[in-house]
Amino acid sequence: MTFLAQAGADGAATASALPEQILFWVMAVIGIGAGLAMVSMRNIVHSALMLVINFAAIAVLYLALQSSFLGIVQIIVYAGAIMILFLFVIMLLGVDRDDLLVEIRPAHRVGAALVALVIVAASVFSFVGAMTSEESRCGALAPATVSAESIPCVGLDDQLEENDGPVGLLARRLFTRYTWPFEISALLLVVATIGAIVLGRRRDPADEAARRALEPEPEPTGPPDLPPSAEPSPEVS
Amino acid sequence: MPIGYYFIVAAIMFSIGLAGVLIRRNAIVLFMCVELMLNSVNLTLAGAARMWGNADGQVFVFFVIVVAAAEVVVGLALIVNVFFRRGTLDIDAPNLLRG
Repeated sequence: MTFLAQAGADGAATASALPEQILFWVMAVIGIGAGLAMVSMRNIVHSALMLVINFAAIAVLYLALQSSFLGIVQIIVYAGAIMILFLFVIMLLGVDRDDLLVEIRPAHRVGAALVALVIVAASVFSFVGAMTSEESRCGALAPATVSAESIPCVGLDDQLEENDGPVGLLARRLFTRYTWPFEISALLLVVATIGAIVLGRRRDPADEAARRALEPEPEPTGPPDLPPSAEPSPEVS
Repeated sequence: MPIGYYFIVAAIMFSIGLAGVLIRRNAIVLFMCVELMLNSVNLTLAGAARMWGNADGQVFVFFVIVVAAAEVVVGLALIVNVFFRRGTLDIDAPNLLRG
């Protein structure tokens, strides 16, 4: 964590792993718990709010990883813009209860749990030992010598020092080596905006009827077995 | 904190998101689970950036956030359109493309 690391560097003898440890465990438990709650909750609005908590926990973990700019961007873009968009769509569609959750076949649940467990087991198998020993501590707490079976953590302290902090570190890369992808991402955002405008355009029912009358072959609207209650009502279409 | 713990937490979050994608049938919840998976991968990238002392991982996180924002905008517009046409958010219901 940037400011924790700086506090440690001021009194080099008092460098302690305790603040980062407390922060990490609290945020890991909150993040994983919020993720589980999001997947298992029936009310979609509640799941969206759980996802906000998860994003906030991840933002704090970014701070602990010396990426404070990413933590701020995470809060602004994810917890702010994207989740507002999600909640807006949920409220717009008026579907705040998910009755589809109760119809899941047990085989699906068991299969999904198995796949998840395999991934967790594979990651634990590959990370525990090599990267979880005391020798993989980062920055000021890193040991001078590291044994062969564990991988050392370099830490971003030197880079942050050279580039005047996390924003400069990211900006120097973004506007030198990664300028072309940066410009392409601007194009991507424009395309996404245009796409959202085109897709979200509200069709007037009267215009639609007039257009259909002019066309020789009307396009089919939905399958015939759809119940009448499932048809879109005039207020929302 | 040894850096491996961050990777393990990210892997757990990724599996939660993956399990959600596999079991949930509501399109919006499915989308939120994909966001959770993207975020866990971002956490891994930031951890790797710190581990190797190389900020390229942070630049990648930045681009992933940009792409995720664009994806959410277009995806939610599609979901709104599908809901207005079909009247349901069940992802098993739209079967017009089924042969």
